[in-house]
Amino acid sequence: MKSFTLILLSGLLILTSCEKIFIEKDLASTNPQENFEYLWKECDEKYAYFELKNIDWNQIKVKYQAKIYDGMSEDSLFKVLGGMLTELRDDHTNLISNFNVSTYGVNYLGQDNFDWRIISDNYLNQDVYHSGPFTHNFIDNGNIGYVRFGSFTGTVDSTNIDFVLERYKDTKGLILDLRENGGGAVNDVFSLLSRFVESSTLVNYSRIKIGKGHNEFSPAEPVYAHPYDGIRYNKKVAVLTDRGTYSAGSFTSLATKAIPNMILIGDTTGGGLGLPNGGQLPNGWTYRFSITQALTLNKKPDYENGVPPDILAFFDWNDRTKDEVIERAILELK
Amino acid sequence: MKRIIKLILLLLLIPIGTFAQTEELSLSNKAIRKSRPTYIGITMGFSSSKYRDFATSPLFYSGAPIYFGASRHRLDEKKETHVGISLSSGSYSNEYNRHTAESSVQVLSGYYSQLFKLNKLSSDKLNVKAGGLFTTTANLRINESLQNNALGIELIPTLFGSIKLTKDISRKEEKQKKFIFIKYRLKERTRNLSFNLNIGLLNSSLRNGFAYAGQSSILNDAKLFDRYEFKMFSGFRMSSALDYTISLSNKNKVQLSYLWDAYKTGGELDQFNMIMHTFKITLLFNTNNK
Repeated sequence: MKSFTLILLSGLLILTSCEKIFIEKDLASTNPQENFEYLWKECDEKYAYFELKNIDWNQIKVKYQAKIYDGMSEDSLFKVLGGMLTELRDDHTNLISNFNVSTYGVNYLGQDNFDWRIISDNYLNQDVYHSGPFTHNFIDNGNIGYVRFGSFTGTVDSTNIDFVLERYKDTKGLILDLRENGGGAVNDVFSLLSRFVESSTLVNYSRIKIGKGHNEFSPAEPVYAHPYDGIRYNKKVAVLTDRGTYSAGSFTSLATKAIPNMILIGDTTGGGLGLPNGGQLPNGWTYRFSITQALTLNKKPDYENGVPPDILAFFDWNDRTKDEVIERAILELK
Repeated sequence: MKRIIKLILLLLLIPIGTFAQTEELSLSNKAIRKSRPTYIGITMGFSSSKYRDFATSPLFYSGAPIYFGASRHRLDEKKETHVGISLSSGSYSNEYNRHTAESSVQVLSGYYSQLFKLNKLSSDKLNVKAGGLFTTTANLRINESLQNNALGIELIPTLFGSIKLTKDISRKEEKQKKFIFIKYRLKERTRNLSFNLNIGLLNSSLRNGFAYAGQSSILNDAKLFDRYEFKMFSGFRMSSALDYTISLSNKNKVQLSYLWDAYKTGGELDQFNMIMHTFKITLLFNTNNK
């Protein structure tokens, strides 16, 4: 019995040491060089927009690796790694630590084109409805419905959008204001679009990284908006955009190019048409960057640099009694 | 002509004879199966576990999930059949460099095994069996800090070659003992100690594709295993179980166990590694009074 037990215990010990077959060494490290190499390599293999943005990632490696040294502070390392990521010119690309978050700031590429106070004071007179994520009311003497959609919160549902569209069903047109909408839940995009199409409509294509090469993508797959089986709005819709319209906001803007009764007014969107991933560095910081490309109907990725409006319109900050973008939309809808 | 008729009749009688013999044999097999003690097992325990998913992070996540299981066992000296499911559920975390990330992990496993006695290696006190074990393990992990890569799912189906050594450590007769001046009796008891080693022969995995996250959500066509890839003959897995089984007078049993399970996925995709140490207690309810 004793020898049997001894054999058993020895066997267990041997098995425990066999764990090295399954688990290689611990890679947790605060070494600046190791974290730099890790982040650079992950981006190199999986980021989706090197070619479109004409980014020489090897050259950027040389530039930023020169700033790495042993013993550098965490703040300094963050600035180097965060700086490297901002070279991707993509607000879906962030480095996140417990003391800072890196951003690109695409909205600063154009002027500010949105001020809620001006809209509230001069168009809505502080008299608004709040239906889920939508803030709305009649403007232009009841001729037009204005709907502010500030964020894709994932809370668009049949109740709130039915109410909005039912309320403005007799208007000449609808303004859907997506300015400074940084995006959010993708399912809201299709919940929204489904109310403005009468049949299944091809709105764009999408492809995803499938290999380490900068141009290794899946075949382009079609994206359809399907009509909602219920209340829909088939009159003219002016969708307002600016540089702060990003991610899901840009997806929606891209889709409007395929929907005849929808028109984009304002400034080019910020882009953000790549779906971001998520990952972690050896030192515990997390990151994300774009791994897909949204393509136009002629299968081009160009709108990652911003979906251009059909009608350009900009704020005049010298006159705070009107919103020039809304004014242009009203003109278009009348 | 008569010879031919006799031959045909003889040929027709053969299946009847065979059927009778088969029926006799199958009754015998059935009888054997019914005579084998059968138990329903209810298991509870806890694990100490860690995993690393290279596709999203080079860091280990560790946790102490709770463990539940249900099983059916049919076993005697010559043959054992085990079938069951288990669920391990808990929170795993990585704490490093003043950063903490947490992942909720559910591990669901189903298994089936058959073991047969190896007469030449067995003796009165030591029973050696060998056979196979098929296990499918499904991991569901949610780590919010990984944003769109928060959800990780793996399916790890494995066919093992299995060997089990069971040592009878029963006390067949009552013993009188003395501690200093205190006399006491050690009653008869039925116990056994067993060690089961399983080595993966056919290892496979169903796991996230290259980019990890799929794009079905932005295609307006959400799918659960979007871009997942199945790899056969890929990776490696081993497991072992050390069981101490106490037989009760009512023919039920109580089993204390230590399980060790380790695997890694293979192939070109970033590897997933996991190791679990599980300590559990199983109540085995005899269902056929054998």
